[in-house]
Amino acid sequence: MTTSTHFARKSALRRRLLGGMLLASLIGLPAMSASAQEIFIPNIVELSGAGAVSGTNWRDGIILAVEEINAKGGILGKKLNVPHLDTQSDASVARAQVQKVMDDKPYVILGPVFSGSVLVTMALAQQNEIPEFVGGEASAITQRGNKFVFRTAFGQQFSMPKIANYIRDGLKAQTVAVLWVNNDFGKGGRDNFVKEMASRNIKVVADISTESGQVDFAADVVKLKAANADAVFVYTNEEESARFLKEARKQSLKGSLIGETTLLSQKVIELAGDAANGVKGHVGLTSDAPIPALNAFGEKFKKRFNYANDHNGIKGYIAVYAIKHATEKLGKFDSKALADAMHGLTITPEQEPGILMNSTWDANGDIDRASFLGEVVGGKQKVVEVLPKLGK
Amino acid sequence: MKRVHPLALIGGVIVAAFLLSAPMFLKSYGIYLLALWAVTTIAALGLNLTLGYAGQISLAQGAFVGLGAYTTALMTGAGVPYFVAFLASGVLTFAIGWCLGYPALRVQHHFLAFVTLAFSTLLFLLMRNEQWLTNGIYGINDIRRPTVFGISTNKNTEFYYFALSMLVAFAFIKWWMIRSPWGRAFIALRENPLRAASLGVNVRRYTLMAFAIGSAFAGFAGALYAPLVQFIEPNSFQLTYSLKLLLMVLVGGAGYFLGPFMGALIDLLLPEWLRFTQGYYLLIYSALVVTLMAFCPTGVLGIVERIREARISRAASAARAAQAPSATSSN
Repeated sequence: MTTSTHFARKSALRRRLLGGMLLASLIGLPAMSASAQEIFIPNIVELSGAGAVSGTNWRDGIILAVEEINAKGGILGKKLNVPHLDTQSDASVARAQVQKVMDDKPYVILGPVFSGSVLVTMALAQQNEIPEFVGGEASAITQRGNKFVFRTAFGQQFSMPKIANYIRDGLKAQTVAVLWVNNDFGKGGRDNFVKEMASRNIKVVADISTESGQVDFAADVVKLKAANADAVFVYTNEEESARFLKEARKQSLKGSLIGETTLLSQKVIELAGDAANGVKGHVGLTSDAPIPALNAFGEKFKKRFNYANDHNGIKGYIAVYAIKHATEKLGKFDSKALADAMHGLTITPEQEPGILMNSTWDANGDIDRASFLGEVVGGKQKVVEVLPKLGK
Repeated sequence: MKRVHPLALIGGVIVAAFLLSAPMFLKSYGIYLLALWAVTTIAALGLNLTLGYAGQISLAQGAFVGLGAYTTALMTGAGVPYFVAFLASGVLTFAIGWCLGYPALRVQHHFLAFVTLAFSTLLFLLMRNEQWLTNGIYGINDIRRPTVFGISTNKNTEFYYFALSMLVAFAFIKWWMIRSPWGRAFIALRENPLRAASLGVNVRRYTLMAFAIGSAFAGFAGALYAPLVQFIEPNSFQLTYSLKLLLMVLVGGAGYFLGPFMGALIDLLLPEWLRFTQGYYLLIYSALVVTLMAFCPTGVLGIVERIREARISRAASAARAAQAPSATSSN
């Protein structure tokens, strides 16, 4: 063997070894854990894909809360370290991201917002005994006996009876049509809604499934016109809701258009413009409610991010403040003790101003608080009635 | 038999040592990611056979992974032993893949891509709408992990070794296959179907076989995917997933044995590594892939091959140049 060949081989070997080390470092991925003076609370949320609108609002609500808390010295003297990890609106990516943060021993996990992603990640959180504050609304989330999952919004099993009562008592409707998006959010809502209608003897005359990301609603509106229902319940995501409203107005669809939170959200109003006027329904959370703390939050949010928040922004914000209050009450950072403390806990704005509204978490992790009946008037959401907490 | 280059041998040993010892120095997430790589690579190996060797484009590979995953999840959920479900996933996807091969006998290229795309959509709708069977859009949760030779794979490390051993087994099967007369027939089919037929290759049978075997690989990958993620839903197996698998094969190098290994590694790890760029990570990842495809459509291994060929060519030129004066002087 010549000297040059020998060196070439040694150099190739060195290159391969370096390659191996690079591979190891690639898979090892940079650690995200907090220092001793920080507390690690990762946020795993939909920042791209179909859930990006909801996820971005959720993230920004969290950013606002974290900035406020850290500016005042953090929780029990420790600053919050909250990285935001994108699930790409895909349940398997969400699971992988939760697996990743588990390696760095989080105190609590925030997110996801999509119910399918919540269902897959919450099992992992339970195995590791880490509380997870989620934005998902599917009823199944809190019906599996998982003691580590906590909602920040009503589950569909609580919101749908409220909307059903409104359709029966407020609108006095005899027939109803339901248009829903065929994903875990829409299907869960539709199933609960149809059940509530049946129990109130209101006839569902049209049951129309639509696709996530659907652009053209012309055929669906034609079907709804043919059904001629007293009220149309629309349960789709933000962009689809706006597209539907535009088409419904274009074809002069008769009957009240009713929604649950999303249909009356700020994003839908912005996207649909005048077509959103006249929409009515139940709203779980809104900055336009006649509650000064919520109004002030809306202003702070707009000033910080230069856009108006929707309910997901409020959900993210109160999640962080709920963690702050429960931890300070405990006097220590203990994930399991935090989960135990959250069950049956009521936080009032007097105790913790950041919680914005009097809120209670029950033994299943479901949240209870006041909610609102609203209507879109002149391109703005107007709250017409405040519904009390269910537990009252 | 072709002699293995010593550097390739050393590289292989290093990679094998890394894969075997990875759980010793990687955290749980790293191990999970490697297990996902092993499972995804099996599906990409199948697509590489269909596309890279037999030249038949398929946009339904992700749907076949879904079919395998649902078969395993439903059967194990009903109490059927895991390995029976595993085999059933492979057999079912083989049979359906064979049927999907029939259109390939009539249409080619982008027309065939559309046929497989329609099939992919059909499978997605079945998974989503047949709620009585698949639990619809809610998906199937809490899928149990198998016990292999008395060892539970509930922990990520054990499952990783199980997935890795499956990858080795399927890689060996494919390695054997492409060196067998079948493999040569597949390549002949890709290069020139007419000439292949004139040489006695049964074009019809081998086209169907390419689809069936490629689909079966995806089915087996699905049977591993379900217990790895422990949750499956129809959205995970939409067209996007098939396109991702196609991208892995192309980025790695279609028609190269190691292409799917490399492609799956890049597709799974690069976006993860780029996450430090926060909101830009998918943008940068896409830009890198577009650049690679624009300048080297034969993928990463295509670049390696190009360098190797250039080196051989330079060496041959140098040898000719060295011989030329002596030839002149001998005159």
